[in-house]
Amino acid sequence: MPKLPCVLLADDDSITNYLNQRLLTRLGVAGELSVALNGEQALAMLRDYFGRHPTGGPVLVLLDVKMPVMGGLRFLDALEQLPQAEAVVTVILTTSLHPQDTAQLREHRIAGFLSKPLTAEKMQDLLSTHFPQ
Amino acid sequence: MSPDSSLPGTAGALARENEALRQQLQEAEDLIAAIRTGTIDALAVQGADGPRIFTLEGADQTYRTLIEQMNEGALLLGQDATILYCNACLAGLLAAPLHTLMGFSFNRFVPAEAEAYWAELMAAGWAGKSRGEMILRDEDGRLRPFALALNVLSFGDARMVAVIATDVSAHREISAIRAQVAEQNAQLERQQEALRAQAQAVAETSRILEGLPHIAWTASPEGKPSYLNLSWYNYTGQSTTVHFEKNSTLSYLHPDDLPEVMRRWRECLGSGRDAEVESRIRDAQGNYRWMLGRIRPSHNEVGELVQWIGTYTDIHEHKLALDRIDQAQRELRENNQQLTRVNIDLDNFIYTASHDLRAPITNIEGLLDTLRQELPEDHRPAEVTSVLEMMQDSVDRFKRTIGYLTDISKLQKENTLPNGPVNLQPVIEDVCQDLQPLIRAVGGRLSVAIEACPTVYFAEKNLRSVVYNLLSNAFKYHAPDRPCQVSIRCRPAASGYTALEVQDNGLGLNMSGEQKLFGMFQRLHDHVEGSGIGLYMVKKMVENAGGRIEVNSQLHQGSTFTVFLPAPAGGAAPAVLPG
Repeated sequence: MPKLPCVLLADDDSITNYLNQRLLTRLGVAGELSVALNGEQALAMLRDYFGRHPTGGPVLVLLDVKMPVMGGLRFLDALEQLPQAEAVVTVILTTSLHPQDTAQLREHRIAGFLSKPLTAEKMQDLLSTHFPQ
Repeated sequence: MSPDSSLPGTAGALARENEALRQQLQEAEDLIAAIRTGTIDALAVQGADGPRIFTLEGADQTYRTLIEQMNEGALLLGQDATILYCNACLAGLLAAPLHTLMGFSFNRFVPAEAEAYWAELMAAGWAGKSRGEMILRDEDGRLRPFALALNVLSFGDARMVAVIATDVSAHREISAIRAQVAEQNAQLERQQEALRAQAQAVAETSRILEGLPHIAWTASPEGKPSYLNLSWYNYTGQSTTVHFEKNSTLSYLHPDDLPEVMRRWRECLGSGRDAEVESRIRDAQGNYRWMLGRIRPSHNEVGELVQWIGTYTDIHEHKLALDRIDQAQRELRENNQQLTRVNIDLDNFIYTASHDLRAPITNIEGLLDTLRQELPEDHRPAEVTSVLEMMQDSVDRFKRTIGYLTDISKLQKENTLPNGPVNLQPVIEDVCQDLQPLIRAVGGRLSVAIEACPTVYFAEKNLRSVVYNLLSNAFKYHAPDRPCQVSIRCRPAASGYTALEVQDNGLGLNMSGEQKLFGMFQRLHDHVEGSGIGLYMVKKMVENAGGRIEVNSQLHQGSTFTVFLPAPAGGAAPAVLPG
């Protein structure tokens, strides 16, 4: 399984984060694994990562849609302002989606959708689709 | 005057007598000539020996003057209508000089068409007296109407007819004026008659209206009030001595209603048509009550407007009741809107619940899995394994329920699925394929009869769901003590509906539970696996498409579920064109 330089989990549910963190650690796919509880924290962490690794990447963001402070949609808006936006691969990880939300999300540069819970199989598919080596 | 009848005398005496007679004849001839030339007036008298002419010198001067001066034509006629005498007035009336009249026949002034009448008049005149009107033609040829009075006169043994001729042209004019006056009088009389009739109509109407329990009034065709019945005075408390003073009745109308009432009244006066208008009128206690005012034109037998009749009927309670009904309907509408909002909220709640519950249960499942990893089976206390299993069972049930909720919320979102013609046969076959394990397990048999209606108008996805739910229920709730027989039929029903029917010989239902039958998460048989969501979904899908579902069931006998689906708007489903 390929190893990604950086994976960012953005979800306000800390138990989900705990389980996903545990899974990714067990799978050993991430060089650096960070957890953000909202979009704002996620953005700050991306800036920090690219500050330390200006040409680093790619970064995989597993993004929840409903989050306090800054939700998934606003995060995607803000992400487009980052110079390194091209190096970020965003996958929406959520429970069920309202069709209206899906339509709005599709207007942004996203790599795909995954429904919770995240499993080893789903992760494997994701890596082979978006990070072929 | 008779000739001398003395005994025969001498020749000289005879000569003298002869001379005297000659002299007399000469005088007579002179006299006639004089009379003819108008020099003197004379009286010619028809005697036994021929006409004898007398001058009027000797006649009574007063009468002569009277006759000469009078404004009527006067003449004396002999037997053959010779004019023996006439006055100047007659000459003037006939436009003929006197000397062309006396001694000549009067007949030349009688036009041909009047001859017969004249002869009759004369004959009667000779017999005594006669009187008549006839036309005479004067010397200039003009025709003039005359009134003629004939009277036979005797001068000694001479008889003649005295005629007084009156020009009646002037009378004719007067007659014309009289006729006009008479006509005007008649007209006046008619008008008065009409007024009397009107007054009578008012009186009669009043008599009828007086006893009416409604307020009633009358007005002239022009709109002038003429009568108000007792009910008005009783209701308003207005003094009966105050009669139709300006605005005396209008002041009892509610100021807000007055403009409309007046507008409608003016409309009536303009068009001559009736009207109804609601208004409030103040009663003796100063309270306004709603009245229905009716205004009707009243016509006589020839269709003329005779008067206006109006009534006011107390509709206060009725009106208030209507207002209350309005109010109730408004409240009902508001309630409905509120219920609709609640329903939408409920739909949203189901969606949110199915969504929001999914996250924690997914986490619980994940944590359970983590626990299993952290507690390998060989290191677990015996009790922990069964607890973990029970937890997993609970999680699974929780997830199923969430799954149903998701199905329902999807169904709500799919309200707008387009309806179209769907062939039943493939749908039934497809569902049977899915139900094969169940059908085999219960040893069931399915008979299909859809020839009468091979196509229904519905969303295919929903049709599949309906057929699936009804068929799976029919097999699921079979009676174990007899062979399971299920039939599915489709037939045209009343009002353009299509009836899709699924009948079984299974457990049947107690029909008192029908309400529950279609409720969400209602399960009537606990011993059979079921979500309690199927019939709810079927009902919802069918009703969303404008249809309905009916159930007919007998406990221990079986059930029949009938789904009525509306035909497409605008007729049958369009045929699919080949190619």
